[in-house]
Amino acid sequence: MGLNILIVDDSDTVRAVIAKTLTMCGLPINEVYQAPNGKVALEILAEKWVDLVFSDINMPVMGGVEMIEKMHENDLLTSIPVIVVSTEGSATRMEQLKSKGIRAYLRKPFTPELVRGVVNDIVGLRHENQPE
Amino acid sequence: MKTNLNDVLHRVFCEVAERMAFLFCESPEADASCEPPPEIIGAFMTFAGPLRGELRIATVPEVCREVASNVLGVEPDDEAAERASADALKELLNVTCGRILTELAGEKPVFDLSVPEVSEMSEDEWTRLGESASTILLMVDEYPIRLTLSVDEMEGAQRD
Repeated sequence: MGLNILIVDDSDTVRAVIAKTLTMCGLPINEVYQAPNGKVALEILAEKWVDLVFSDINMPVMGGVEMIEKMHENDLLTSIPVIVVSTEGSATRMEQLKSKGIRAYLRKPFTPELVRGVVNDIVGLRHENQPE
Repeated sequence: MKTNLNDVLHRVFCEVAERMAFLFCESPEADASCEPPPEIIGAFMTFAGPLRGELRIATVPEVCREVASNVLGVEPDDEAAERASADALKELLNVTCGRILTELAGEKPVFDLSVPEVSEMSEDEWTRLGESASTILLMVDEYPIRLTLSVDEMEGAQRD
């Protein structure tokens, strides 16, 4: 059974790159949903089964921090792992987000290897295409 | 030791452009033309926190398309690259800004970053950018990129 992944970023380009990177990583993916902000992401989460969320922080309408807080207020969404993908490098910000339950923090620009490693750590997958 | 903001901007942008978009920037030749290009795209964003200020980029559509095509892994004349060119320029600026703030302020402070905005730029605006001591000029092949980092009240900072 493949993963359903939600990518939340206001940049179409970044969403396309993350989606392409996930495909290149050889991860078993069923569906990739995309949202330009936290508000649209919450609407998708209310309707679709999602195994993993990649989210930016700094977005118009609703940013990543508010979206993560709203996910944690919802019993059905609180256990979905969130990986933050951001340009920000503040250790303080990372600690704040970890205290809100995020599972990993990827700083842009990221490499496919980094994405694969983080996803594998979280979902516990070892795909046969992955090099030793 | 004083921080030279233009040096930081030059180094960080070149690193980000190379790593994110496989774009190799060089300093211009001494006799490089200062004439405004026929078409100019600009983007800017602000930051607030322990440091306040803004970061601007101005360049030609050819560079925007090259960034988009390299990031997306498509040909520069592909429709997807054309469609994504403004968005790719904003993202290049966004990533550069995040890296610069870490360089200048370290890893502890938290900054509020605005969402980058992109617009066409006039020849006058291009010329005014070039007159600022906060602006540097880089070249990608024969195409120019102007970058401006304005920081309000930073202790220990200097320009050239």
